[in-house]
Amino acid sequence: MIVAHVRGQGSSRLDEHASEVWFGKLDARAKLAGVFVFIMVTAILTRVELVFASLAVALTMTVVSMLPLAHLARMYLAALPFILLASVSVFLFAGWERGIEMWARTSACVLPLLVLAAGTESFDLFSGLRRFRVPALITTLLMLTQRYIQLLSEELARMTIARKARGFAGGRSLLDRYGLRIISNTAGMVLVRSIGRGDRIYEGLKGKGFNGELMPWKKSHTTALDISFVASLLIVASVLLTLQLGVVQ
Amino acid sequence: MHIPDGLMDPTVIIIGWVEFLVVLGAVLLLAGNRIKEKNLPRVAVLSAGIFVAQMLNFPIGGGTTGHLVGGALFAIIAGPMVAIIGMTVVLLIQALMFGDGGLTALGLNALNMAVIAPLTGWGVYTLLKTMTDKGGSRNRVASGFVVGAAAWASVFVAAAACAAELAVSYAVSSGAYGIAAAVSVPAMLGMHAVIGVGEGIITAGVLAYLWSVLPDAITQASQTKKELRGLRALVWGSTARAVVAIIIVFALALPLYFLYASAGKDGLDKTMENADVTEGTPTIESPFSYGEDYFSALFAGLLGFLAVALAALGIMKLVGLRARKGADT
Repeated sequence: MIVAHVRGQGSSRLDEHASEVWFGKLDARAKLAGVFVFIMVTAILTRVELVFASLAVALTMTVVSMLPLAHLARMYLAALPFILLASVSVFLFAGWERGIEMWARTSACVLPLLVLAAGTESFDLFSGLRRFRVPALITTLLMLTQRYIQLLSEELARMTIARKARGFAGGRSLLDRYGLRIISNTAGMVLVRSIGRGDRIYEGLKGKGFNGELMPWKKSHTTALDISFVASLLIVASVLLTLQLGVVQ
Repeated sequence: MHIPDGLMDPTVIIIGWVEFLVVLGAVLLLAGNRIKEKNLPRVAVLSAGIFVAQMLNFPIGGGTTGHLVGGALFAIIAGPMVAIIGMTVVLLIQALMFGDGGLTALGLNALNMAVIAPLTGWGVYTLLKTMTDKGGSRNRVASGFVVGAAAWASVFVAAAACAAELAVSYAVSSGAYGIAAAVSVPAMLGMHAVIGVGEGIITAGVLAYLWSVLPDAITQASQTKKELRGLRALVWGSTARAVVAIIIVFALALPLYFLYASAGKDGLDKTMENADVTEGTPTIESPFSYGEDYFSALFAGLLGFLAVALAALGIMKLVGLRARKGADT
């Protein structure tokens, strides 16, 4: 019951794709371990051919995850400015080959993370972290914060519509005192409502037996698919690492 | 300011994780019990509030926008230790649920936005607000400037740390990772000097709104009891704690600084070498040395940093006490 109260009724907008595809049904621990190891190894690759091999694996994972590609592309675009800044800077100082290598390596790291983010229900993810012995204080805070984010985002969306209905278009510049005052008041209102709502939710939780720690919300069953997923990423990561370190030429 | 995976040199990533985990461990140890039970939902709801406030873009000019980082705002409302935990939660959600900022780079991102930004914001706010709070009354305009300056400093210092991490990554990897200092430093500092102005104005506006609507909700974590005197005041006073917060920010930069430091001789050593002059036997031999390798140099640097900071704090306090005695007589 506590879980239902904190998790909300039904899955959130963020989790809408996770439950529809095979990737979403994998055990969160398998996804976290596999993706983390793959990203860790990819992040240290410096040989161009290995970086592109890793990018190919990342792209394959993106496609076979069966998650909506348009959704993943939008998420990738959000990360693109920093990737481009790094790639262009390396291009300017060390040549186009290094610049492309930087773009490929960062993209090969970002794509699996986006698949993990879009393809895992948030409470599964936090339960997985708890099972990896992340302190209960942090995982409980993660679960509660994620729930409040849903509520407050809806609150902010309503306030944004109300502002637009009254003719506010978002301000013009840092010199626009009126615009900045409206934005400050909106942020202040979000915090005021969040504090009030937090107290009410706390009373609700206490009434349902909350003792300061939210337990993982469902039992996990490791399947053959989970083991195959982790094993395949571990094998790929091991091969890439072995080639990078020059153990096998 | 969210660093993606694959951009940073592995050594810099390891340093980031070690520093962040040490700070987080210490904070959980010191403030974990305070947050448990009743405060847990409040911290979560405040983290969510900061997360949602980050979604509010403010105009910078020329059609571009910036968004709130919120480190200073969080620290001023709830205190630096709660802010470190809360901002860590915000960054974890951004990385794991939105892919915003990398997994391997999480240590560095958390260091910049969950440790350096709140500590700097709170430290600057606490140091400056003593000038605006006279006799318990608050000057609203001056308070706004103090909050604005603290928020600006928090964004600017966090951006400077990010720029330094990028530059060090580039230097130690011979260009394989990171961004050259010639690009990273002006780009990050220039951009965030402007974004920081927006952060300062919005933070001041939000706090002015909160002070007028919900004054009790703001925990004045930086306020300390006035009866503290002598050694207790030196250790627990708000000025001392703010100075410690700033010192921690500087100390966190040391491991990267030593990584970047040149092994070459300094100006005097080089001149002596050119003039064929050798150093004589010292009159007094110090038990400490700067060391030959990275870790011994880092240890010596941290020790020296702590000694100088404590000495400076003691001198400041003595000067303050003398000035107060002079004013009383």
